[in-house]
Amino acid sequence: MSYRVPIGPYHPALEEPYKFEMICDGETVRDAKLHIGFNFRGIEHLAEQRNYVQVIALMERVCGICSNTHTLSICQALERLAGVTPPPRALYIRVIMAELERLHSHVLWAGIAGKLIGFKTMFMSCFAMREKIMDALEAISGNRVNYSMNRVGGVNRDIGDPQSVLAAVNALERDVNHTVIPVFAANRSAMARCAGVGVLTSEQAKAWGVVGPTARASGLPQDIRRAAPYAAYAEMTFSVPVETAGDVRARLVVRALEILESCRIIRQALMNLPAGDWRGPEEEVEIPKGTALSRVEGPRGEVLYSVTADGENDTPQRVHVRTPTYANMPSVRLMLLGAQLADAPLIQASIDPCYSCTDR
Amino acid sequence: MSITGNIPSELGLDCRWETKNGSMWLTPEALDVRRMAAFMRWHGARFITITAMQLPGTQTIRMDYHWDLDGELLTFTTQAADNRIAAISDLCEAAGWVEREIHEYFAVDFDGQEYEPLLLRAGDPVGINLHKEDE
Repeated sequence: MSYRVPIGPYHPALEEPYKFEMICDGETVRDAKLHIGFNFRGIEHLAEQRNYVQVIALMERVCGICSNTHTLSICQALERLAGVTPPPRALYIRVIMAELERLHSHVLWAGIAGKLIGFKTMFMSCFAMREKIMDALEAISGNRVNYSMNRVGGVNRDIGDPQSVLAAVNALERDVNHTVIPVFAANRSAMARCAGVGVLTSEQAKAWGVVGPTARASGLPQDIRRAAPYAAYAEMTFSVPVETAGDVRARLVVRALEILESCRIIRQALMNLPAGDWRGPEEEVEIPKGTALSRVEGPRGEVLYSVTADGENDTPQRVHVRTPTYANMPSVRLMLLGAQLADAPLIQASIDPCYSCTDR
Repeated sequence: MSITGNIPSELGLDCRWETKNGSMWLTPEALDVRRMAAFMRWHGARFITITAMQLPGTQTIRMDYHWDLDGELLTFTTQAADNRIAAISDLCEAAGWVEREIHEYFAVDFDGQEYEPLLLRAGDPVGINLHKEDE
């Protein structure tokens, strides 16, 4: 006999408010339905009421984890409209901020994943590691969540002490190699818990438009930093980790390896940080009529911004955001089909969902 | 010629690719969105999203379909005449949530897709958040 298991919108198994209903035969999930919208704030509507400076601050609040990704995306779109190119030092600082953000996001997720697969002390270890990156972000920007680093044509703050950031990154890399990599890549209990669970094939991932580490864990080597480089990524040497199993374990491994790649990118950017201006134009940048698109590889995958300006008012005509969880979340249904009910929290967490982003 | 270069002629469109603000746009007089979706899927393109936007001073909704083909960002632009357009979500699963959201924001009806609430709850009115009645 089938029965329905509703979870959420508020439930200990969910990181944020959303709801999913599963139809089960015994312990096996036969179907699932997802409901979102519990964090809806109407940000795209609000963006039409704010001027171009305010709208950058507004979009920073789309997400509490990848806030920098959103300001970088919208600033790139506005720069394309205005025909402005930031100075080289600003482009390097943007790379450093983007990768520090990826580090703290991936390490946070590693802690949550560790807790969900039964390594509860790893949660505290990861949060202690993450704290070093949060401290580095605070030292650079003065903030731990919304950094206010990006502006049209440059960045708002310089990185005055690259050595201290380097020290934090080196320490994190050492700790991740000692703590996260052995558990996610080689521990037998973790493998038994995650291998073959929540499988998404590469064909399914492509058909459903899945992005970021979730896509790369299903064998799709897509990464906007590599495919369409922005900021100073064209000058960085890095690998794009790809796994083919498409299961929870593959998602663990891809993110763990991406932590090491981010450390590698930050080290290169800090060592080669160009001298000179970082702020860009001092005078207000005029935004002419037109539409510009911008893509950034956030911690959870590709973010796309479409910004339309009328060239007359100082407010955008339209700002549209496609966030990575919005692209990834529908595929969770596929991952759940045939899964054990007890694996559902781990499967939904394995895409590292962000409902603040999704609902906007 | 590359697949991208062939797209206008393969789809029988009366226009060429234009590079605008760093990405490629195709703005035909008329676009069969279902044919476009089938063609792009066949060639391995990844659907990204649809940006809907109400044209100023009108009730017309502009629809920009964004695709990624081997890292290239390609956009097809058309309009939803009388707030109706064909759904592509049966051809391209990734478009399902996007079409539902556009219906909620702009009250655009997607022929072939039965509306199911996404960000709204059942019974909430659609077309309030981004649709401007007075324009």
